[in-house]
Amino acid sequence: MKLELGYIQIKDIQFSKECKVENGTLFIDPEVVKAFMYQDDDVKAWVKDFSFDIAKPGESVRITPVKDVIEPRVKVEGQGGQFPGVIAKVDTVGSGKTHVLRGMAVVTAGKIVGFQEGIIDMTGPGADYTYFSKLNNFVVVAEPVEGYQDHKHEYEHAVRIAGLRAAVCIGELGRNVTPDETQEFETFGIIEGAKKFPELPRVAYVHMLQSQGLLHDTYVYGVDAKRSLTTIINPTETMDGAILSGNCVSACDKNTTYHHQNNPVVAELFAQHGKKLNYVCNIITNENVYLADKQRSSDWTAKLCRLLDLDGAIVSQEGFGNPDTDLIMNTKKIELQGVKTTIITDEYAGQDGKSQSLADADPLADAVVTGGNANQNIILPPMDKVIGTLDYVDVIAGGHNGSLRPDGSIEAEIQVITGATNEMGFGLLSAR
Amino acid sequence: MVKEIERAGIPVVHMCTVTPISMTVGANRIVPTIAIPHPLGNPSLTMEEEKDIRRKLVGRALKALTTEVTEQTIFEE
Repeated sequence: MKLELGYIQIKDIQFSKECKVENGTLFIDPEVVKAFMYQDDDVKAWVKDFSFDIAKPGESVRITPVKDVIEPRVKVEGQGGQFPGVIAKVDTVGSGKTHVLRGMAVVTAGKIVGFQEGIIDMTGPGADYTYFSKLNNFVVVAEPVEGYQDHKHEYEHAVRIAGLRAAVCIGELGRNVTPDETQEFETFGIIEGAKKFPELPRVAYVHMLQSQGLLHDTYVYGVDAKRSLTTIINPTETMDGAILSGNCVSACDKNTTYHHQNNPVVAELFAQHGKKLNYVCNIITNENVYLADKQRSSDWTAKLCRLLDLDGAIVSQEGFGNPDTDLIMNTKKIELQGVKTTIITDEYAGQDGKSQSLADADPLADAVVTGGNANQNIILPPMDKVIGTLDYVDVIAGGHNGSLRPDGSIEAEIQVITGATNEMGFGLLSAR
Repeated sequence: MVKEIERAGIPVVHMCTVTPISMTVGANRIVPTIAIPHPLGNPSLTMEEEKDIRRKLVGRALKALTTEVTEQTIFEE
């Protein structure tokens, strides 16, 4: 399966009566985006109104509570459309050509649960912890209808759909723009790949998806991952919008839709594909709340690793706490099949970094990459402007009573920052 | 907490869903429960069925508490 991504670099976003991409600037009429979002019945039913804002790198702006971050794209050639099974009809994506509006994102914000959403600072020390501070962000703030409190799942669904629709609406503007740069990605059939690269180690990416329910979910071609068994997917499918985020707590280590579209593990495996290794495929597996599910899913992951005759697997986790068990079960069982693993996780080692980092462990999990210590304390100075509201800073996961100080500054753990310790390695923290 | 209470000489039963974590942290008497968001119940069942589940789990925990163990033990029955 071969996918070509055409990157259109977006250097600026401006509100305008005309919608277009010209010379690296996105001109956008928010009313057009709003009308497109309201074409969906669930959005109509649960979202009272939207407000729009633009946040640029370096500006004194704080966005919170952040739900999702999405990169606008458009399918220009080949099968399927954006976000198949959710926005576009179900059809296999991951081949043909897709245009990408690079350097920008749609950020959805506004209260859903309050404590479950994150913070993005566009400048200051907080900006150093989130890649999204480097993007031109088109921020969509949603306001729920009255009485939504008893219908949070429906409301979360509506805001999720609204964000994806906003990204589709904006992505469409890149359809007839000539990309600044193009890149091709290709993986092969099992036998075809083995014949092509007989000397290279066979490596797959075991991509763990958050699926605990209670608004911690991930969707694959529209299927709630908690209702699926472990399965195989082409890496280019995940690059082309097949996997979507439905969760954002704790903000630091949940994968937004942007992370799925731009998964650095996939990027790095492709960079080495045909050189140091044969990138066979991705294996997607869930993180459910029943022990039997954890057993079954990790058994299945190990079975697939063996079936694919892998030499090695990279395993990335999403979240922390009980998913540490899914991580360790996967790793241990894969290793027992004779397949070497490296895991990517993050740590909750206490503010002093002296506590045990993971809730579970095993001697076979002996190659570990960390996204950082989510409990690390940070002081975020006040910003000139807040998009959204500061009402939930004290209760957000990683905050505490008194986190929001009278001068508008915030003392909290980096856990509150969207993407700060991302376990795909999509972070700015590095020992390099 | 399980280990600290036990260190003080009081036997403890750890009722939890993710028993591998309980094993890793070193609990000695472990009783598996229903699910992480609802360890001692199941919202998809009727009140009568839930009561039955709770009674069985508590019974199992009491049995575990009064059983001598020589190594970390998971009480499935």
